[in-house]
Amino acid sequence: MATSTPTGSVLPRDEVLFDRSLRTRWRLGFDRWIGWLLPLLFLVAIVPIVDLVYFVVRAAYPVLSWGNLTNTQPYANQNGNAVGLALIGTFDLMAIATAVAVLLGLFGGIATAEFLSERSAGWVRTSVNMLAGTPSVVVGYFGYFAFVLYFGWGLSLIAGALTLSFFMVPYIFRTVDLAYTSIPRPIREAALGSGARPYQYILKVGTPIAFPQVLTGVFLAMAIGLGETAPIVLTTLPSLLVPSSLNSGVTFLTYLIYDGFNHPSTGPGSNELAKAFEAAFLVMMIVIALNVVVRVFAARYKKRLEGLYQ
Amino acid sequence: MSGAAPEGPVLSVDHLSVVSRDSKKKILNDISLDFPPRSLTAVVGPSGCGKTTFVRTLNRMTELTHSLRVSGAVRYLGQDIYQSNVNPVLVRRRIGMVFQRPTVFPMSVFENAAFGLRILHESDAEIDRAVTEALVRAGLWDEVKTDLNGSALALSGGQQQRLCIARALAVKPRVLLLDEPTSALDPAATQRIEQTMLRLKEDVVLVLVTHNVSQAARVSDRVAFLHSGRLVEVGSTADMLERPKDPLTEQFITGRFG
Repeated sequence: MATSTPTGSVLPRDEVLFDRSLRTRWRLGFDRWIGWLLPLLFLVAIVPIVDLVYFVVRAAYPVLSWGNLTNTQPYANQNGNAVGLALIGTFDLMAIATAVAVLLGLFGGIATAEFLSERSAGWVRTSVNMLAGTPSVVVGYFGYFAFVLYFGWGLSLIAGALTLSFFMVPYIFRTVDLAYTSIPRPIREAALGSGARPYQYILKVGTPIAFPQVLTGVFLAMAIGLGETAPIVLTTLPSLLVPSSLNSGVTFLTYLIYDGFNHPSTGPGSNELAKAFEAAFLVMMIVIALNVVVRVFAARYKKRLEGLYQ
Repeated sequence: MSGAAPEGPVLSVDHLSVVSRDSKKKILNDISLDFPPRSLTAVVGPSGCGKTTFVRTLNRMTELTHSLRVSGAVRYLGQDIYQSNVNPVLVRRRIGMVFQRPTVFPMSVFENAAFGLRILHESDAEIDRAVTEALVRAGLWDEVKTDLNGSALALSGGQQQRLCIARALAVKPRVLLLDEPTSALDPAATQRIEQTMLRLKEDVVLVLVTHNVSQAARVSDRVAFLHSGRLVEVGSTADMLERPKDPLTEQFITGRFG
């Protein structure tokens, strides 16, 4: 039986490719709509973040200057718009917290991936996931009772940094664990089969392969740590001096945001809210910079490992 | 290579059984087999018959998966490698292994071949000498001698596999286990590896796992046929392939299953 097609030709019925059934038309139409919808959803994701950055930059703009960023004078930091002290304080907190978290996360992750039995590894992973899910205020209180009161260190840089490291350990641990467990098993067996002891395998073969992922984890953990506020507010004392020892008080960027919104001074010429936005701007810029560094680095390193276990 | 050539078998397997701790399934069932000096034994059998598990028991590689229990004995020059006071690291230095897919490490060609020697803390002069010798024996020297410091990851799959053989040879093992070393390679690379195996069997005891009967025919002196974890038959390659005694063996080599 012959049928005519929209192009005018006449073909046997089972050779015709055109289909006018409702089902097919609906399917093709849906395809077209999804094609429009997905970019729209992308906009839904991107618009808030762009708006947020714009909002923060606009609010911070009036007080944003090199002088304000580098000024560590007590008076300017207390009454003016200088954030030098908070910048240094954040750097100090992050340096100590990162060092502690890298140590714990790296050793814990390698031990879990390489040495623990499947069962114990499962317990460790569950515990770490629970730590990652604990509300930050709760961890803050724990840090307060443990470091500030029990160890008697007082509200201090070290108490704040150690509490902060609790938030970074799970991220580093998980990436390290994943990085070492995802090394192809035959690579590991080849190293051990060549007579290497497990630590020799980890140092000489495992680490060069896992390194980019580990570094990514460290940078992302730093980005997480940078944003934490409550636990450090609970364990440190704001100070108008550059920290001189582990027991010093310390001012940090997220504290300025918290404080600026909580107690905006209303006096003439005061600009506390702008200062909060200045701090917010800095935190955002550092987080973005960390993410960019991670991406560039990971892409470059991935190229070097091309051809591994093909 | 080192020391006097032993009189008896280099490696002998005595009533070896392997049970999976998880499923309680017997993966290998009461296998006894000797590996004499200057021999290349092909272990053949259908998929899942336990041939990979079998070679992995020969240098205690099974230990790296927690869930296998090994009973019986594997004797290297008369010493049971499963005895509690045996150091598995020393076992693996004497009984090397090459895997299905190339397992080069992310380092230079030279450092890959030198890996086993570096962890033994050999002197630089000794490492230079041994790496060159190993690369020559593995049949890779001519292709890499001008660029020993280039990344091993840039080599082709066949070159990478020969580099893995060189890495295993560099520590001068007496036994080399090859677990389907050519299954991921093209015919030309396979041929080069087979030539390498034929040269090596003069001074290293080779155990080759393969699912490829014609490869066994080309390179081996002896064939051991495994089926469902049991050793069905073992004999010289010519006997096994032309006059198999067991009907299962005959079915397998004529391609009726596997």
